[in-house]
Amino acid sequence: MTHLVQQRRPDLRAKKCVFCFKDVRYIDYKDYPTIRSFIDYFGNIRKRYYTGTCLKHQKMLKSAIELARFMGMLAYRK
Amino acid sequence: MPKGATATARAVETLPEEQDLEPRLYECCILYPNGLSQKDEQELLNGIEELFSEVGAKLVAKDLWGRRGLAYKIKGATEGRFVVYHYEIDPARVQEIDHALRIQKNALRHLLVKPPKHYTIVKFSELYEKWLKEREAAEEARVQEREEKRMEEITRKEKLKVQRAEKKKVVEVEKKPLKGEELTEQIEKLIADESIENL
Repeated sequence: MTHLVQQRRPDLRAKKCVFCFKDVRYIDYKDYPTIRSFIDYFGNIRKRYYTGTCLKHQKMLKSAIELARFMGMLAYRK
Repeated sequence: MPKGATATARAVETLPEEQDLEPRLYECCILYPNGLSQKDEQELLNGIEELFSEVGAKLVAKDLWGRRGLAYKIKGATEGRFVVYHYEIDPARVQEIDHALRIQKNALRHLLVKPPKHYTIVKFSELYEKWLKEREAAEEARVQEREEKRMEEITRKEKLKVQRAEKKKVVEVEKKPLKGEELTEQIEKLIADESIENL
């Protein structure tokens, strides 16, 4: 039984917004290293629920990712 | 063209209502293929800069990115180079630039964006290189750590082996059979011992 208790998953809702922590006002589409972590293997945008991003920053992120995709920095679909 | 183009269009659409505006900051990003000859590249950059100067734009910053892999093929190109310009342009004349860039030779993609009010210009070419180096360093560190762990494991195993071998030797030494003469001597001693006889 103790083994089972150790393997419990962390609460995904407890995550905090990374951008709020740094007081980010604008997410740049040219900033590849930052944006990269919010994209999964297939090139989809990660859900807010899993990354912990707040709604305001998720919207900024979405537009940044779309511009980056247009410029060929990120894939539409892998 | 997909979403990026619509974003540009949106930036341009609102202009007719806001005429007689002061020049404001615009960001222009252009993508061109990697394999261009030096002459072609110079021509392209000069052409673009001329476009802006015709409109009376003031150059604020220019950022040349090195070779970069593209996430998908664009007109057969898998690798490209980027140029990022920051210009102060009269908003009424942005549309001309957009139209001209669309028919610019050798340019694969272009993007004209209004950065937000509190925007500070960052040179992403340097940041990207720094990030690449950091990533490489991290990868190297990871490999080294793994190697060290492996070496530690090997030395530990060898130590254990040596210890086990020593133990075996000790046991063997202890269990060595006595020689014939010694045996007889000891037996005689035992026989001669009176205390045992009494028991």
